[in-house]
Amino acid sequence: MPESEIKTSITPAVDVQSFSMRFSNKEVIKDLSFSIKPGEVFGLLGANGAGKTTTIRALLALLEPSGGTLLVNGKRYNPDLAATVGYLPEERGLYRNEQVLKTMMYFAVLHGLSASEAETRALAYLKRVGLLEKVNERLVNLSGGQQQKIQLGVTILHEPSLMILDEPTEALDPVNRSLLMDIINERRVKGATVMLVTHRMEEVEQLCDRILLLKDGKAAEYGTIDEVKDRSGTQVIAVNFTGKLSANDKLFKINKRLPHYAEISWQPDITTDAILRYLAGDNGLHLTTFEVRRPTLNDIFLKLYKDQGVNNE
Amino acid sequence: MNKLSDVLRFEIFRSLKKKSFWFTALSIPILIVIIISISIVSSNHANKNSQQQAQSITKTSKIAILDDTGLINTKLLAKLNIMIEPSQQAGINAVETKKIDAFFFYPKNVTKTGIDVYSQDKGITLSSPYSTEAIALLKSDVIAKAGAATRSTQVVQLLEADPAINTTTYQNGKEVNSDANLIAPGLFMLGFLALIILTSYLMITSTTEEKENRVAEILLTSVKSRSLIIGKILSIFALGTIQVIVIIVPVVIAVIVFKSRISLPGGVSLSHIPINAAAVTFGALFLVGGLVLFTGALVGLSALFPSAQEAGRYLGIAMIWAYVPLYTLGYVVSSPHAMIVSIFTYFPLTAPTTALLRNAVGALSISEALASVAIVYVSATLAILFAIRAFRYGAMEYGRRISIKEIFH
Repeated sequence: MPESEIKTSITPAVDVQSFSMRFSNKEVIKDLSFSIKPGEVFGLLGANGAGKTTTIRALLALLEPSGGTLLVNGKRYNPDLAATVGYLPEERGLYRNEQVLKTMMYFAVLHGLSASEAETRALAYLKRVGLLEKVNERLVNLSGGQQQKIQLGVTILHEPSLMILDEPTEALDPVNRSLLMDIINERRVKGATVMLVTHRMEEVEQLCDRILLLKDGKAAEYGTIDEVKDRSGTQVIAVNFTGKLSANDKLFKINKRLPHYAEISWQPDITTDAILRYLAGDNGLHLTTFEVRRPTLNDIFLKLYKDQGVNNE
Repeated sequence: MNKLSDVLRFEIFRSLKKKSFWFTALSIPILIVIIISISIVSSNHANKNSQQQAQSITKTSKIAILDDTGLINTKLLAKLNIMIEPSQQAGINAVETKKIDAFFFYPKNVTKTGIDVYSQDKGITLSSPYSTEAIALLKSDVIAKAGAATRSTQVVQLLEADPAINTTTYQNGKEVNSDANLIAPGLFMLGFLALIILTSYLMITSTTEEKENRVAEILLTSVKSRSLIIGKILSIFALGTIQVIVIIVPVVIAVIVFKSRISLPGGVSLSHIPINAAAVTFGALFLVGGLVLFTGALVGLSALFPSAQEAGRYLGIAMIWAYVPLYTLGYVVSSPHAMIVSIFTYFPLTAPTTALLRNAVGALSISEALASVAIVYVSATLAILFAIRAFRYGAMEYGRRISIKEIFH
């Protein structure tokens, strides 16, 4: 069987087709379609209010879509599929007055584990994250960072094949952020699919195979990171310097200027060599780095929403 | 000090601007006015009805008397269709053999020993008119004699206070204690009201806890909302039952230990509490149905609120409807078919208590009980469906109160 046929026969971990969502008279999601392949790390990006959380809630049947289909592993999600999905919601918390181990076991059992298996895995996880001595502690007595670790444990204890993480690093301290990254990587190596909703573009660039950038409830960008960057077109010159960087309208334009860093765009008929020669010849300027690069996701994100702001004006 | 006044002003005006403050503040006095009005109307009606029943009872019942006081004008009795028995035993025999409905014996020293009333058992609602009539017969002649200036010490005492009534009731020729019939079905009413009080906090916090702790989304993706809500309702029942058991166990132990020294009011023996199968069955049905109805309604309503504190402000008022029917007790006993009693018997939130009350006093017919049970169980089912939907769509609305309209969008 040809490889292309094998690929198409694989059921997507997530398949969203023509999804629309309306609250009262406001349409917040408009004809949205995307799919996530098994084993892929997928980034769902967008500004606040773009519709990311609404999409996840509709995917997990917490909201009824106004139109379209949203499937998880080929089926409309329902709690009977809980064993296959680990969900870390944006608005998250746990029963604050319950004990750590009992809380973790309760949610693990709800996700399909037996009580004994849940206990074994919970203890192993607590040992890994250095909270073994807190097993009988009530959650309210744990620090914020410790509670985040427990929350993360609740999401992954049943080893789901699909992890849906809504702003997972939001409010995480660096230690927990690193832990989360490690866990995502581990799950990815074991073949799990990860759907990541985040504002942190550097995390997306590090982790994601493909992204969907939502704007006004519609897909503004969709594809691999390279594809998205290629589509965004223009390259930029990033320079680090000391001294004074003067503009030269005939050669280039300074898009972003910080005291010792700048991003430069140039006219189509000008070469980057010409710009480098010009800057190197400037006696009042000392270049420390000169890099011609494609725009980062952050650049693309900012440009997209900056354009929106201009359009809105 | 300036900051204190700033805080004070801010807090007061903040509350005064809230609808919930005025809703709570105005609802309580309005409810009190309603309750007092019902109570007054009920009491007045009960007294009036009792007198009317007493007046008409001689027309509908066969009554006989024996007067050893000499105070009753026996010549007038014939006009009232009241017969005279030759002896106390003959009167008792006539009641036992159902020849007559009631027999009143007025002993010579009636102010000290009271009037002995023997009657067929017709439940509490119809027993009291016999007593009223027994007193009325005696006092009408006492008043006449007092007018004729034949004042004896006994006459003066009767004018000052009604004599005591010693009632003995018979069912199928056997002496029964009609008060004892209250006990078994009455326990269901007490159990219902106790469970509502004991579990009200659980009803309110069972869903708001998920919202306050932000765990609703994780729960709803791992458990069906139907299983979740039914599980919560059953757990509330279980916890309420445990609380009741904790309260009852010491009482039961005391009864077992001090059995010989304990007697219930009316001289009812613990081992001889009458069990009316129909009354007990309906009592159990109304207890369970009523609890499901209130639990479903309160669990659902509380899912609309962001916190237990805010839910408590509103839901306390909803819960009062479980107790409002108690203020119609006078009506229920004297006139179980009055409009207010009928409305309360068939209005879902008042039906459980009213029906349990009527069931306890023997004033609820089988057909009425079946109709009310149907209403309570249909309402309870709707309340659970409402609770499931309210939690499903309201649980994720952290930090804000949502309207019922929103969950049915």
